Amino acid sequence: MSKDNPATQTFADHEVITPANKLRKAVSSVPLAPGDDPVARAERALEDLSSEFAGWMQTECERLDQARSEVKRQGFTKTTKDALFHAAHDIKGEADTFGYPGVTGAAESLCRLLEHAPDATRIPLQLIDQHVDAVRAIYREYERSDAAELAFSLSRRLREVTDEFLIHVNRHRPDVLELIQGPPLAPDQIG
Amino acid sequence: MSGASMVRIDFNRLRFLVIDDNAHMRRIMRTLLHGFGAREVYEAEDGAAGLEAFNHYIPDIIITDWAMPIFDGLELTQMIRQPGANANPYVAVIMLTGHSEKNRVTAARDAGITEFLAKPISAKGLYERIVNVVANPRPFIKTKTYFGPDRRRNVNPTYSGQERRKGGKADVIRQVPLLDKVRSIG
Repeated sequence: MSKDNPATQTFADHEVITPANKLRKAVSSVPLAPGDDPVARAERALEDLSSEFAGWMQTECERLDQARSEVKRQGFTKTTKDALFHAAHDIKGEADTFGYPGVTGAAESLCRLLEHAPDATRIPLQLIDQHVDAVRAIYREYERSDAAELAFSLSRRLREVTDEFLIHVNRHRPDVLELIQGPPLAPDQIG
Repeated sequence: MSGASMVRIDFNRLRFLVIDDNAHMRRIMRTLLHGFGAREVYEAEDGAAGLEAFNHYIPDIIITDWAMPIFDGLELTQMIRQPGANANPYVAVIMLTGHSEKNRVTAARDAGITEFLAKPISAKGLYERIVNVVANPRPFIKTKTYFGPDRRRNVNPTYSGQERRKGGKADVIRQVPLLDKVRSIG
């Protein structure tokens, strides 16, 4: 099997191609030595980096605040909406890794709001404010003993209000309603 | 570690390209990959720069975010999966994303991604995806509407629906895992 001509089997409506596996070079015939755990090594490396995480989270919260300010200054345009969504989406994906899992819920609710509202200009700005302020407040107050409880209550309430709004504005879009009201995939269904 | 993770991968023999518009996430990915033992880790900060870096560095494995400016990870994957159009349309693509809705996962698979890794990222999750693309490669399927890794990971003996692929006895050709090949050689 040459590099340029992978093995190909042709069927009526499809081909099955078995390309040369260039990654084979990386499989070692020597098994992992006892105690040699690459995952543990990587986790330790991440731990060494973790002193930076609070600062990174602060930067992401400022970015979200700035994106909110642009929405209020210019109104919802594709650019301002995308910037706000990306800022919230990044926080949703990073907060857990940075050690602030309590922030995820409010950021996720904001993502849902922006993603599923058919017309962003109809989203009450007060609801945007509540989400952004919640993300920032949860981060700011993270050292409080009741922080996790507060974050949970706040995120749950934001999600309820968001879903109520989304169900109303999508009442004539059954496919979107199904998406909004359906359960998310479990992690083992995704991989 | 799980059974799949028992395979020993020489990470220093793999070249990675990490594409993410978020500098913090690129740093996290680089840290994890170096922790696994990788030496060659290249970065790009959006889909366009990622495509350019892909053609320049010819990486073995691409790890890309979904949501990015210019064009996103999904569009990037579709551009890479163009037979004859670029350096290596068969390259392994691991899609890293905060999206977890079913329609998103389906769209990513239909674009030709090799593995899907949902955020929050973990060292274990990333390691297992990499081991999988190295040790359990899938054949590629080319139809009028799709070019990418075989989306049927498992043969379901109880499947009773319509056979959507036409043309013969063997629709799926299972590739011998590299680990087995290495063992048989050794």
